[in-house]
Order: sequence, then C-alpha cells, then structure tokens
Amino acid sequence: MKEPEYNKEEAPTHQQSLDLINEMISKAKKSYTSKGIASMVWGSLITFCGLVNWVEIHFKKDFGDVWLLTLVALVPQIYFSIKEKRSKNFIAHNEIAANYIWIAFTLCMFITSFYFSYFIRGNVAPLIMMLFGIPTFIIGGMTNFKPMILGGVFCWAMSIVSMHTSAEIDVLLMAACGLFAWLIPGIILWRRHKKSMVAHV
Amino acid sequence: MFKDLDPILHSQLRLAAISILISVKEAEFTFIKEQTKATAGNLSVQLNKLKEAGYIEITKQFKNNYPLTVCKITAQGISAFEEYVKALRSYMPDDNK
Repeated sequence: MKEPEYNKEEAPTHQQSLDLINEMISKAKKSYTSKGIASMVWGSLITFCGLVNWVEIHFKKDFGDVWLLTLVALVPQIYFSIKEKRSKNFIAHNEIAANYIWIAFTLCMFITSFYFSYFIRGNVAPLIMMLFGIPTFIIGGMTNFKPMILGGVFCWAMSIVSMHTSAEIDVLLMAACGLFAWLIPGIILWRRHKKSMVAHV
Repeated sequence: MFKDLDPILHSQLRLAAISILISVKEAEFTFIKEQTKATAGNLSVQLNKLKEAGYIEITKQFKNNYPLTVCKITAQGISAFEEYVKALRSYMPDDNK
C-alpha cells in the first residue's frame, strides 16, 4: 500500500486530523524501539559469569574474579552507545529517562560491590539481584514490554530465594536473572527489530 | 460548544510535524521528512510557519561538517497542540471522544 504524502497544504477533516495525529505519534514511537543488543550482551555476560563462578565454587577451581568482565564490557557498551547516538536523527523522551536509569543502576552496582568487598563481608547476592530488578522492571514498564517487566519481577523473586541459599546456588540464580531479565527479552527485541526491518523492505 | 481550530495546526503537514515533535525530545529535519514523506522544500516552509508561531524551535548545527537542522517543540507548542486536540474532540461524536 502506498504511504500517504503530506505535501498539500490543505485543511484535513476533523477525523483525518485525529487519524493523522495517531498515525504520526505511533510512527515516531515505533522508530525508537530498541534493537536489544545491549540487553543480549549484558544478559549473556551475566549468565556466563554466573555459570563460570558456579564451576569455580562447585569444582573448587580459581579462574580469577570473572565478574571483572562486567567492567571490561562497559568499554564496548559506551562505544556502541555513542556510535548509535550519532547515527540517530532524533532523541526520544524515553531514551533520556532510560539512560539515567542505567547510569544510576551501574553506579549503585559498583558502590554495593565495593562496599561488600572492602567493608563488610556478607552475602551480597540478594542485594545485587534486587538491583538487577529495578531498571529491568522500570524500563519494561516505560516501554510496555512485558518480558522485561516479568524479568524484573523474576530478579526480585530470586533475590528473596537467595536469602536462604548457599553462595554456590546464589551464582546460579544470578545466571538465571541474566537469562530471564536481559538475554531472553533482548532476543525477543532483536527478532522484533529484524521483523520490522523486513516489513520495511 | 464547538471550539475554533488553530489555523496554524489545521494543515496536514504542519499537524504531522507537530505530532512527531510532541512524541520525541527533538528531531532532525531528515527524521521528520522520512516520517511525513514530504518534500524538503514544503517541509521547510511549513516548519518555518510553526517556528514563526512560536510552536517549535529550529537550531542549525554542524555534524561531520554537514549542516544539521534540529527541531524541538516549545512549551507554547505543547499547549497549542493540546488545545487543538481538545477542540478537535469537541467536534467528534461521543463514541470517538
């Protein structure tokens, strides 16, 4: 179907005006759907780190602090975010809010990890999974994306479970959080993006 | 009672452009052009009319040595758009409101 053009300076009817407003708002909204790449990258990384950590604990191996990989992953994340920002020709309202939420989350993660590493020794897993749930749930709600809302709730459920489990199980729960809160929603977003690209060809 | 429709907004292309700008924080000229499928010349004229009415801000910048036009809706533009939608709805039968 041929898309309408708005080159004529003619007054639309009232119904046409309402339809036009709805169409343009929905078009603009569709333009800022996430590709899910960051979600897939972080989901895979957290799942991987959790599983490697489990292998370390279960088989009494020492591969070093595998969670430091999250610090390394920040570098490509920042690079791709800047690159994506430069290639886009609009800024969405949601996008700005989401950026602040992820910055706040990252800082809270580092402060919590630092505090538990140097000041008190204790089970940090429930706190970490509780933090995982916050941005996931909020951004899922903001974008009306149910897999992320459920992912956030899943993280909080795992946070409660981890209050009663050993460190060995805790790292598996963290891997599960990475899988259900980010990796699977990221794959869903990626598939949606691919589908929408095919539809535009 | 029927309200008067703002003549600045009651035009297809200007309404399309302002509807896009209300949905985003800011948008480049090319984004609005892509979404509306309008010609560059006509879009430029209509955006200038919105700017003259104080409904949008247009800033000219440079990106990788190329000129870049960025549009952003103003507070006046937001209230004019809200008033326009309110007025429009007063013309519609109840089931459309």
